[in-house]
Formats: sequence, C-alpha cells, structure tokens
Amino acid sequence: MAENTEKRTPPIIQVRNLYKVYRVGESKVFALNGVTFSLNRGEFCAVVGPSGSGKSTLLNMMAGLEKPSKGEIVIAGTHIERMTERELVTFRRENVGFIFQSYNLIKTMNAVENVAMPLTFRGVPKKIRMERARKYLKLVGLEKQMDHMANEMSGGQQQRVGIARALVVDPRIIFADEPTGNLDSKTTMDVLRLMRRIVRERNQTLIMVTHDTHLAGFADKQIHIVDGKILKIEEQYHDDEEEI
Amino acid sequence: MRFPDLLAMSVNNLRRRKLRTALTVLGVIVGTASIVVMMSLGIGMSEMQMELMESYGSMTAINVYCDTYSQPQGGTDPIYLTDEVVEQIRHMEHVDGISPLLSVGVMMRQGQYTASYVNLVGVTEDYMEQIPVGEGTYPKMDGSQVEMLFGNMVLQNFSNGRQGSSYYETGELPDVDLMGQPIFVIYDMDAYYQSMNGGTGADGTTPVKPPKKYMVPVSGIVAGGADDYNQYSWDVYTDLEALKTQLKQVFKKNPIPGQPTNRKGKPYNYFIYSNAVVYVDEIENVKEVQTAISDMGFQASSNSEWMEQNEKQSQMTQMVLGGIGAVSLFVAAIGIANTMMMSIYERTKEIGVMKVLGCDMGDIRNMFLMESGFIGLMGGVIGLALSYGISYLMNRLPAVSQMMMGMTGMEGNLSRIPLWLAGTAMVFAVVVGMAAGFFPAVRAMNLSPLAAIRNE
Repeated sequence: MAENTEKRTPPIIQVRNLYKVYRVGESKVFALNGVTFSLNRGEFCAVVGPSGSGKSTLLNMMAGLEKPSKGEIVIAGTHIERMTERELVTFRRENVGFIFQSYNLIKTMNAVENVAMPLTFRGVPKKIRMERARKYLKLVGLEKQMDHMANEMSGGQQQRVGIARALVVDPRIIFADEPTGNLDSKTTMDVLRLMRRIVRERNQTLIMVTHDTHLAGFADKQIHIVDGKILKIEEQYHDDEEEI
Repeated sequence: MRFPDLLAMSVNNLRRRKLRTALTVLGVIVGTASIVVMMSLGIGMSEMQMELMESYGSMTAINVYCDTYSQPQGGTDPIYLTDEVVEQIRHMEHVDGISPLLSVGVMMRQGQYTASYVNLVGVTEDYMEQIPVGEGTYPKMDGSQVEMLFGNMVLQNFSNGRQGSSYYETGELPDVDLMGQPIFVIYDMDAYYQSMNGGTGADGTTPVKPPKKYMVPVSGIVAGGADDYNQYSWDVYTDLEALKTQLKQVFKKNPIPGQPTNRKGKPYNYFIYSNAVVYVDEIENVKEVQTAISDMGFQASSNSEWMEQNEKQSQMTQMVLGGIGAVSLFVAAIGIANTMMMSIYERTKEIGVMKVLGCDMGDIRNMFLMESGFIGLMGGVIGLALSYGISYLMNRLPAVSQMMMGMTGMEGNLSRIPLWLAGTAMVFAVVVGMAAGFFPAVRAMNLSPLAAIRNE
C-alpha cells in the first residue's frame, strides 16, 4: 500500500500551540495553555492527568466537539479548527470513531442495531450494515448477545458494543473518553487489551483519555497533562500478549 | 441518511412514548374534526341555499324585459322585442334557447264559474319543456291549435258569477273540472264588459255585440297541489304560434290589447313581446350573455347576480366557521410543539451521541420534523374519519334536520364534506404538525454534541 511506504511521515495528528480559555466572570481560566504534540498513524496514545487538568478538553477539541480559543489541530492534513459544525459532523462520520465512558448505547435498539447506527448515518443499505455490525460484534466477542437490548447487558458487554460501534465505520482515528471508567478492574483489562489488539491489527490510531497512570501504561505513548500544560511525553512499546 | 431509515427512526421514537403520542394525536384529531365539521356545515348551508334558488328558477335563465311604454321619443325607432330580435338573440354564442312570452288577459268560463284577467301566455317549446306537468300532457306545439296548460293555482281565480263568492272568501275550491268539462275563453274582455254595461259602444251609438266565446281544450295541469306555489302556478300556457294565429283571427284589424301602437295610434303588423326568457348553456356564461342583451337596449336580469352575492356571503360564513375550527387546531399545534420539546429534552444525550457519531445535522432536524408530521398525519386521518361520522349523524338525526327545517325552511344534508375539503384538511394537519415541530427540530439540530460526553 502507498500509505505504508511513507508510513511515519507525515503524522496523522498534529496539535500546535493549542489554547482553550474559559471566561468565569472577570477572570480567565486556561483549560489548555499552549499544548503541542503530534501522533503517528497506528499509535496507541494515552492522555493522562488528574481531573481538571484539561485532558478531556483536549480530546473534545481533537474530535471537533469543541472549538479551540487559539492554535491549530491538523488531522490527516486538514485544519479542523477552521471547520464549521456541519463540516465537523461530516469529518467525524468519515474519519472518527468514538468510545464513551458511559457507553451511550441507544436504549431502544439491540446490540446489532446500535453497532449499525453509524453506518445508517452514512446511508449504507440495511442488509450490508447489519452484516458488518454482526462481524464487528463477533470481533469483540459478543456472538451470543447480538439481539440483546442495551439494558440487558453488563457494563463490560455494553462497552464492547460501544467499541464495535466505534470500529464499524473503519475509522482512521478512534477517540476514547475514559472508556473503562465505569468498569471493574478485571473487565477494564479485558477491554483495554481488546482495544489495543484491534487497533494494532488494523493500523488505526487510538487516543484514550484516562486519569489512571497505571492504565496509561498500556499505551505506546503517554501524554501527561497538568493544569493545561504537557508535563512529559513517554514512549514505550508493548507486545500484544504482555500483561500489566 | 436514507429516507426509509429516517422514517423508521421517527416511527420508533413515536412508538416509544405511546401514551404521550396518543394524547398529542388526540389534540390534532379534535382540531381537524372541528375544522372539517364546521366547514362542512358552511358548505352544506350554501349548497342548500343554492338548491333552494334553483327551485325558484333556473340558474341559467335570463329574463329580458322591454318596456313598451317608455320608449325613446322623437325620430329614433322604438326598440321592441320582435321576432327578428328573438332570432338574433337565439343565434348568440352560449345561448341554448329563447322563448318570447306573449301574454294576454282573457276571461274563462265553465258553467256558472267565471275567471277574468287570467294570464294566457304563449311560449315556445324551449320554455314549455321547463314546466313540470302533473296531470295530463304538454299542449300541442305545432302552431295548429291553442291548447292550454293550466297553472296549478289558476283554479282559485274562478268564482261563481251569480253568488259572487270566490275562493278567498269561502276557502273552498270552485267546482271546476279543468280536464273533464269544456272551458270557454273570451279573448276580447273589453267588448265583453261593454256589452254587459248597457250594450253601447265607445261612441255611444253602435250597440256592441257580445264577443265570441271559444272552446279551448286543456291538455294538462302544472305539477303541484292547489296551494303549492311555483313560478308556473298562476299562468296558463299555450303554444306561441297558435296563440298568435288565434289573436289575429279574433281581433282582425283592431289593436290587440297589450300590444303597443305606432305614433298614429295604429297597431303594428307584427307582434311585440314585453318579455322573453333566454336559456344559457353554462352558469359561467350567464353574465356575458346578459351584458350583451343589455347592450341591445333591453333590461335583462338573472339569478346570477343574486347567486354571486349569495356566494360571497356563504364564503364569509365558511371563513367564520372554519376560523372557529382553526382555533382548536391551533391549540393542538401548541400541544405538538410541547410534546416535541419534551421529547428533545429527554433525548438530549441521545441526540448528542448521534452528532458525535456523525449524524448529519439536517438528518436530525428531518427526523424530528417527520415525527411531528406523523402526529399531524395520524390526527388528520382519524380526525377526518371522525368528521365523516359526525357529519353522518348530523344528517341522519331527525332532531337536527327538523331544527334546520324550522330555522331555514330548507331540506337536504346539512353537513357535506366534499373531496377537496377532506384532502385539504389532511394536508393542512400534516403541515400544521410540521410547522409546530419546526422550532423544536431546529433546536434539536443545534444541540451541542458535548451533552453526550457529560456523565450523569
């Protein structure tokens, strides 16, 4: 593939000098205070920091859910800070998968329908999207729960559905906002290992926000944020089978 | 998103909250039904009025008058309704037929009963065939012989010559057998009265002979009882050509009563009609023909003016009635808007998730618009069915129709729902639903996707 030959260049995400300022009365609060980094294709990156450090704000801005006050975000060569809301929606539909902390499955739909939903937004015919949704549910190990409604599944199962839903559109980038925040420790490990295995197999970029430094150790790259500034960036490579 | 997917999502959302949807739909049902029923009453009333008017006389007939006494003085020739003019009008565009009316006052006798000043009207076939015949048949129309079609109330004119009692005094119908016994007609009433009053002529010298009586056969009687009025009740009708021949024969060179004379006091050698009836092919063309006849110098009138006024009035009535109904549909629209707002508040998070996952903003708006449109459609369909039910009941219940009879003297279906009203009501309900859902839908579209991220 042409993409493989020029693999490490250019980076898929570039963040330059990013600021987010909230006005609270007279005073200004800097949620992000000049953040610069870049991520390569196929990397698993964790954004770590205590609550209120601005890590969620950073994720939201990279996903185009919030507008930065200043600075640039270039994803796959496109400046997303200049896009309108409509363009951002289209951009997310084509390039981004999203995994939520509280799963956010649609309660009136069963697992397959939930997974197939992003394909609906793309206008994929029903037969094709159902087929793909089943395939991805199998991939996350939920062959038996396909017809279950959201509230008939455990937290771990629901999050697997969430992961399948993020993966089904075959996105270049997957954002995960505290994906294991509502899960117990054993399930957390399962889910993390699953996520890492899949994105590595498919050469996708995964960005995970967490407050847990231990979980962040799972990632290839850790970006530590405190008070809106990058404290340090750590890089380490893990094998798929490696335990933590 | 594809349209079927959008549709399925909207319907699913409505099914999720069955009771709330049902209540909102109920509002639309009441609104739609009240508009349709109100409008149907207005339409029913105006149509009944129309039918009533048609019973008074044909809507496509124009009455033409020619005032023979107030003709222009001086050199210009007087404008009279002559056979020539009649033929001219007959060949005008949109004219189906014409009948001049030649009326003479005659005296009729049977046994001891006499009726004076009976209006004997000569008409053509065009006119004759409009008259509904009850007993007997139409008179012969070939011009050979005068045969009479009696108006159903003419009988009241006969009075007993010796006792001098009439129907108005006694309330008893005179014992006159129109169809069975022969009727004698005296055309020259002046001569009759002169012969009765001492038998001297106008100059006081020549004695006046009593005028000749003619036995005239009666072919039929106009439909209706002796007290049922219609426009043909009071006259006696016969063939125009036959009457003309008969009059010439009776009066010879003398002036025929009712016919104008020229400046020298001599009668014209042709008949002049005081009025005529023109039949037009379509109601829409009545006005045009009427104007053309007026331009020829005659007075023309028709029911179309009356009808136009009536139409305006009934339009007003319909608007007022429809307006009253519209108030309740407006209330229903507020209900829809309220339901949609509630539903959006409930689903803020869901909408946020959909936006994060890349659902187009237009699709979100359309989804909510379709939901509210669906509420309108369901309400419209059921409301329309309800309207038909109410309308049926109104038309069948004896109490209602009796009340109507008492109030307006009209018979027939009080509430009528034409197809266009049904169609319009349905479309209107959907449009109102979508209009009510528009602002909530736009609001949903503009919700922040960040709502999905927040944890509760």
